[in-house]
Amino acid sequence: MMGRIFRNSGLRSQKNVFGSYWEQLLLISVIFYSCNTEDPAPIQEGPTPFVFPEVQHFPTELNIPEQNPMTVEGIELGRYLFYDGRLSGRTHPDSLMSCATCHIQSTGFETSLDHPKFKDGHPFGLPTENYPEGKPTPHYTMHLINLVYNPNGYLWNGMIHESNDRIGPEGYDFMGDDHLNFKYLESLVWMGIVAEHEMAGSIEKTVNLIGSIPMYKSMFKAAYGTEEVNIDRISKAIAQFVRTIVANRFKFYRYVRREVELTPAEFRGYELFFSEDGDCFHCHAGSLLMTTNEYFNNAKDTVFNDPRDRFAVTGDLMNKGAYKAPSLINCEINGPYMHDGRFKTLDEVIDFYSEGLVYSDYVDPLMKYVKENGVQMTEEEKADLKAFLLTLTDHELLTDPQYSCPDELGDFGIQDIGNPY
Amino acid sequence: METRSRITILLIVIAIFFNCQSENESPSFGKLIFEFGHQINGVDVRYDQLIYENAAGNVYEITNIQWFMSDITLVNKNGNEFLLEGDDWIHYIDTDIPETQIWEIDQDIPTGEYVSIRFTFGIKGEKNIPNRFTDPPESNMLWPYHMGGDEGGYHYMKLNGFWRSLNLERTPFNFHIGVGQIYNDQGEVIEFVQNWFEKEIPSSSFSMPAEKTVRIAFKMNIENWFKNPHEYDHNQYGGKIMNNQEAMGKIKDNGIDVFSVVFLNDGENI
Repeated sequence: MMGRIFRNSGLRSQKNVFGSYWEQLLLISVIFYSCNTEDPAPIQEGPTPFVFPEVQHFPTELNIPEQNPMTVEGIELGRYLFYDGRLSGRTHPDSLMSCATCHIQSTGFETSLDHPKFKDGHPFGLPTENYPEGKPTPHYTMHLINLVYNPNGYLWNGMIHESNDRIGPEGYDFMGDDHLNFKYLESLVWMGIVAEHEMAGSIEKTVNLIGSIPMYKSMFKAAYGTEEVNIDRISKAIAQFVRTIVANRFKFYRYVRREVELTPAEFRGYELFFSEDGDCFHCHAGSLLMTTNEYFNNAKDTVFNDPRDRFAVTGDLMNKGAYKAPSLINCEINGPYMHDGRFKTLDEVIDFYSEGLVYSDYVDPLMKYVKENGVQMTEEEKADLKAFLLTLTDHELLTDPQYSCPDELGDFGIQDIGNPY
Repeated sequence: METRSRITILLIVIAIFFNCQSENESPSFGKLIFEFGHQINGVDVRYDQLIYENAAGNVYEITNIQWFMSDITLVNKNGNEFLLEGDDWIHYIDTDIPETQIWEIDQDIPTGEYVSIRFTFGIKGEKNIPNRFTDPPESNMLWPYHMGGDEGGYHYMKLNGFWRSLNLERTPFNFHIGVGQIYNDQGEVIEFVQNWFEKEIPSSSFSMPAEKTVRIAFKMNIENWFKNPHEYDHNQYGGKIMNNQEAMGKIKDNGIDVFSVVFLNDGENI
C-alpha cells in the first residue's frame, strides 16, 4: 500500500519538476525509493494459504465459502478436531464423540455395516434423559468424500445449501462473524454437537472444553491469528479438513486415464453401467465423481412419510421420497445402503435395481424400467456389474495418513475400528 | 502575433481531435438477451401433469428438459455472420435451473439489421469431446463413450416425462438424443451417427439499435418433436432410445420446426 502511494506521488511530480535540479533529484529519490519498496518479497504473515490441487476429470468449481479460505494450519487443526472425542464437550470415555465416531476412514468415512457399537451401521447419539440408549439418527450415514466438488446440497435431502435461509435453534449464536445457519459444510459441525441423535451436547460446553486444552491454543493461533476458540472457528477448521478428503485413486479413474486395463468382467460391467440396459449412469455419472449430486425417487417405496425427504426441502410434490444419488466411489465398503440402510450388501442393491423397483406417482422418469420392476439382469450381468463397481474403491484413501487420527490426541482420539472388508 | 497564431492552430487541432474522438466513440453496439421458454401448443408447459396429447395420440406429461445449443450466429443483411460468444461456446438450458433460462450475452453486438438467427441443436462432433465438461450441470449430460465415441461425449437433449401406455399405465420415457449407433448382427457398434442439426430460425430478422438491449424469447415448441415429418409414437419406441438410431433419426428430422423466436422489445436502454 505504501509503495503504491509513493509510486503515484512520483508520477504526479514528473509534470512539475523538470526545471529544478533539486526537485529532479527529489523525484529520482522518490522513484527509487518507490521502486525499492516493491522489491523485497512480501513477508508471509498469518496462516499459509492452501492451494487446492486440480484433479483431472473432477470438477474445477470448488464449494469453498468465501468466508472460510483454506489454510494449511486450518486444515491441520480441523483434522485434530475431527478426531477429538472431546468435541462432544465431555471427557468421560463413554461420552467421547467426534465426527470420526461415525465417519470412519477405513470404511471410506462412513459408518460400515460391522461397526462394533452401531448395530447394522445405524448410528445413535450419546445418551440423554429422553434417550438413555442414545437416539438413532433419522437417516444412515453418508460418506465424507469429494464434498468440495458438490454444489448441490449436503445430507440425503440436500437441506444444507447456500439457499437455505433458516437460522438455527434459539439460544445459540456464533461467536464469530457467521450466524448459526444451514448453508454450508460448516453448519454440520454445530448441528452435530447439539443434535440429540449425535453428540447431544451444547456449543458452550464444546467451546469451553476445547478452549481449555493447552495444545489447541497454539493451533488456533496458527490457524486464525489468535488463541480464541469459538464455534465458528471450530466449524471452519473441521470443514476445511473435510474438504481435503478427495477420493480419486480408484481403478476406474486410472482406466479413464489409460493407466490400467479393466478385466473382461469389469469391462462388461462398465459397459452395462453406462448403457440403457443397465442405466446406472444417468444418476451416478457425469464427471468421475460417480454421482450427479441430484435427487431422485428411485422406486423403493409406494408410501412416503419421511419428514426429511427432498420434498421437505423443496415443497415440490414430485420430490416425495427423493434422496440424493450418492457417489458410488467406495460403494464396496459403504454399506448399509440407501438413506434408511435397508440393503446390507452390494448384491442386495444390484438385485433391487434388477427386479425390485416399485411404481408410485412420485417415481423419477429416469427409473424407466419401473414397470418391469427393474432392468432384469442375468446372474452373469449382475456379476459383471459388481466387478465394475469394485473398481470404484479408493484403497489408498482408507489408510492415507493425511486423513488419519493424530497420535497426539492419545486416549481422546477416536481410533479407527479397522476395515472389516 | 506569432503566439496567437500558434494558440489558434493548437485550438483547431484540439477541436479536430475531440471531434474525431467523439465520432470514434459514438456507440455502435447493443446488447442481446435470450429468454428460453418451453411450450406445448403455444402455452408454457405445465410440468408433471398428464394433460397433453401428441400427434400419435399419446397422452403425455413433461418432467424436465435439459439441452445444449451451440454455434449461435447472427447473420446480417450483407451475409456477414456474428458468432455469439465465439466458436467454442456451448449453451446449456435446464428447466430445473432458472438461471440457465436467461442468457445475457457478454459480447457487444454490432448495430444494424440482422436477417436471421442460426444455431446448432446439440453439439457438433468435433466439439462434443468426452470429458469436455467437468462441472455440473453440463457434466451430467454425459453420453457413454461406447455409444458415442470420440465425437459423442454428451447428450444433445434429455427430455423426460411419462406417457399413458397401451395398457393405460403412466409409464416413464427418456426422450434422449445424442450420437446414434449402427449395430451389426452381433450387436456390435460399427458406425456412429451424428444427430446434431443446424437450424435457421424462421422470422428471426431484427434490428440491433445502439446502446439498447434487445430481448428475444427463444422457444422450444415441444409438440413438434413428435409431429412433422414423422409421427413419433411412444408406444413404438418405449422409454429408452439412446441406442435406437431409428427413433433418434426421426427426432432429428422433426427438429425442423421445433424452435421459434419472439422479439420481446425493439431495444430497451442498457
